[in-house]
Amino acid sequence: MIRFARLFVLIALLLAGPAFAADPIIEQQQPVIDRLVRDVDALAARLDKEKGDDIKLVDIRNQLEEKGKALLNAAVAFRPRRDEINARLDQLGNPPKEGEPAEAEAVTAERAALKAVKAEINTLLGRAEDETLRVNRLLEQISELRRQLFANQLSKRYDLNFALLGEGASEFRAEMAELWRIVGSWWNFVLKFKLRASLLAGFFALAAAAVLVIGGRRVVGEAMRPDPVNLEPTYLSRLSVAFASTLLPSAAVATFLGASYFFFDYFNVLRGDIGELMVTSFNVIATIVFIERLARSALSVHLPAWRLIPVENGPARALYWLVLATALTAGADFILSRVNSVLGSPLTLTIAKSFVLTIAVGLMVIAISRLKPFHDEAGRPRRWPNWAQALLLAVGVVTVLSALLGYIGFARFMARQIVVTGALVATMSIGFLTASAVSEEGAFAHTLLGRRAKSRFGAEDTTLDQLGLVAGIAINLFMVLAGGPLILLQWGFQWGDIRAFALKILTGVQVGSVTISLLGILTGVAVFALALFLTRWFQRWLDGQVLARGKVDAGVRNSIRLAVGYAGTAVAGLIGVSAAGIDLSNLALVAGALSLGIGFGLQNIVSNFVSGLILLAERPFKVGDWIVAGTIQGTVKRISVRATEIETFQRQTIILPNSDLINQAVGNWTHKNKLGRIDVPIGVAYGSDAVKVQELMLAAARAEPRAAKSPEPVVFFTGFGASSLDFELRVFLTDITDQIAALNGIRLRILEAFRANGVKIPFPQSEVHYPAASRTRRRSSRPARQRNRRRGETRRQQNPGPAAEKPTLTHEKTCCRSFSWRSGRLSYIGGDKGTERFRCVHRGRWKHRSSR
Amino acid sequence: MKKVLLAVMALSLAAGPALAATVVNRDAEARTLIVTEGSDKSELTIGAGESVDFCPGGCFVTMPNGDREALTGGETIEISGGAAKIR
Repeated sequence: MIRFARLFVLIALLLAGPAFAADPIIEQQQPVIDRLVRDVDALAARLDKEKGDDIKLVDIRNQLEEKGKALLNAAVAFRPRRDEINARLDQLGNPPKEGEPAEAEAVTAERAALKAVKAEINTLLGRAEDETLRVNRLLEQISELRRQLFANQLSKRYDLNFALLGEGASEFRAEMAELWRIVGSWWNFVLKFKLRASLLAGFFALAAAAVLVIGGRRVVGEAMRPDPVNLEPTYLSRLSVAFASTLLPSAAVATFLGASYFFFDYFNVLRGDIGELMVTSFNVIATIVFIERLARSALSVHLPAWRLIPVENGPARALYWLVLATALTAGADFILSRVNSVLGSPLTLTIAKSFVLTIAVGLMVIAISRLKPFHDEAGRPRRWPNWAQALLLAVGVVTVLSALLGYIGFARFMARQIVVTGALVATMSIGFLTASAVSEEGAFAHTLLGRRAKSRFGAEDTTLDQLGLVAGIAINLFMVLAGGPLILLQWGFQWGDIRAFALKILTGVQVGSVTISLLGILTGVAVFALALFLTRWFQRWLDGQVLARGKVDAGVRNSIRLAVGYAGTAVAGLIGVSAAGIDLSNLALVAGALSLGIGFGLQNIVSNFVSGLILLAERPFKVGDWIVAGTIQGTVKRISVRATEIETFQRQTIILPNSDLINQAVGNWTHKNKLGRIDVPIGVAYGSDAVKVQELMLAAARAEPRAAKSPEPVVFFTGFGASSLDFELRVFLTDITDQIAALNGIRLRILEAFRANGVKIPFPQSEVHYPAASRTRRRSSRPARQRNRRRGETRRQQNPGPAAEKPTLTHEKTCCRSFSWRSGRLSYIGGDKGTERFRCVHRGRWKHRSSR
Repeated sequence: MKKVLLAVMALSLAAGPALAATVVNRDAEARTLIVTEGSDKSELTIGAGESVDFCPGGCFVTMPNGDREALTGGETIEISGGAAKIR
């Protein structure tokens, strides 16, 4: 038994054996971490030595950042193995407690081995962690050092005297000779040993630039060159020409320079000092080329019509040369400072050179501020706007003064800002101007992109307008996002700070207990838009492909489409909200608290909403139906969830809340089918042949093409009217919506048939007797009396009324004569018991006269 | 044109990097992580059932059970029974 146990333990130990040896991942990663720790040590030592050099500090910072990342990656590499160990430990379970049965020794051994490995991994991770912490602290130290350096540089004052300037001049000559020697020796070295490599490098760089230029021209095409014939280019075309003619050549030059440096470096053509000089000069050259192109296109010296700023011809030329000279001077200062630091020149030279060059820059800015680039209404030259003049003057004077007072560092800073920040601000303002020009109504359609969108996608004008707006916003955003950090970098802010700030804004700003994350919100909006787009697509597919082919009724199709649309929108909204990182449970709490108030407030809307759902489910009418709801009658145009659009026959659109359609009786002429009946009542003269009349009417109805054959038309003799025999024709139409045309046709035909067959349609007649006629008769002249007697006492007339009381001509004459008015109108105003009263009216005035 | 716009949006969304690690506490009690981020160590307490975003640009974390872990950002950590699982 004991032998068996020994054997078991031996096997267990053998099995667990490999675990006791170093784990492969530890063997692999430990040297990596060791090496990284050594590298960080070396960098920390270098940092101690090179505290005073900003460029070296940047280099150390970049290397440290790399090491930090490498440490993190080295630590992450342990994860799979650690997960494996944890999983195995979980399988093995906890060691038995006291009183529990003992476990097999193999298990105990394996657990111990695994724990040992895990502890070792944790130790290594701890080391990596500490080292990362150290790297990050060093990085912070570097940031602090650079900040101090920057502040020192700006605030340091040098004692100036003119002897120093003279000394500087002689030293400058010596330095130029030294520079010449260095460059010459490098050149000889290149010619002797690296000629092929440098030619290759130059060729590659040229090829890269050529690809950019040729490709760019193909894309931008004619938009790059101003058209000299066009004397009134739009602002947008001027801007796009300026943009293209600045960007493309500058990008080509920058690519050429960047690629040259890269390939020179790659082929080991560069030596340390030459490399540094090359980087600086390439940077300066690229910047100056950019500024020159920008000034040329914005000021358009030769083509005034294409000028972005409306300055006069002379000042435009002056401005162009001044800007170029400023950029060249500041660039020269920058390159020479680098030469000074590479050659380790004496301080006097550095100061003397910067003194001269910064004062030159300041003076040129002052000269720009004194220009009179505009003209007033009378055509007299006018200066810059006050604020611009003041700003330019202040910048120039501050630069010159600080140089004169010995603050050379500050003066250099100013000179550099004038050029670089000035160029950035100018570019950004062109961008902003372009954005506002693009967003103008109808402007986008005339751009290259707009034209292409129109020809390729058949985009409509409104779509293009909206796109223009989007493009405008995008350009503005890009200008702020790209230009802002660049300017901040120029002003001494550090990339890390800007990045951290941007990350903070993107990932979350804490306001109270709520975190607002810009990125989250943008993600939410994007997800919502995507989900909505998918919904619409699904909706269209379902409606157009599935339902249309399934011969589904139009009403059902509409209902399904709407339901899918609403459900999709709701789902998209929910997904968007959760993608934005907004916790829906918080929302539920708020909704719960407010639901009562919302319930009361939105009672009508909710009622309409529910009614809309009922309408969709029940479908009492569909789109295109002719319905009558109360006093409203018309065709249903659209059923949405809150209201239904009805178009009346006068083409008035009525938005009827759905609850009205649910709560009141709604008549639908075209519910199941379009069969409907029209009635044509008509009366014929007494004495007409009723049977004949009925036949004529039926024939008229049957001749109507819109009339249904079954049920066939019928005529009823509906009654004996006051002056006519009344009939009613009832005709069913296959399409009741045609009823007006059908009624018209039937009536015309009936009239024609009646006329042809001598059937009369009477008008109402009545007999009136009036006794007052006898008095009138007595007063009238004899022939009139005789005429009346011949006719008899009774007059039949069409319009019974007080015509009998109308005063005769005699009356009128009597009246008007007795009032000695030349002309007047006599009107009867009443009478009783043989007395009649008349009123004589003349020019608005009236008098009573009673006559017997 | 809308389609193009939406497609661009979707692409930019898909290409957008995951900027933070998320830790979810599935336990019934609050758990505390020690997070080394930047140049300092701090404790991060996560309430029961809570989910917290942290560590936007890589960090080291010490779990409640003493395990250390390096995160590059974008991981989701689930704490249950004091032990952490990384997805």
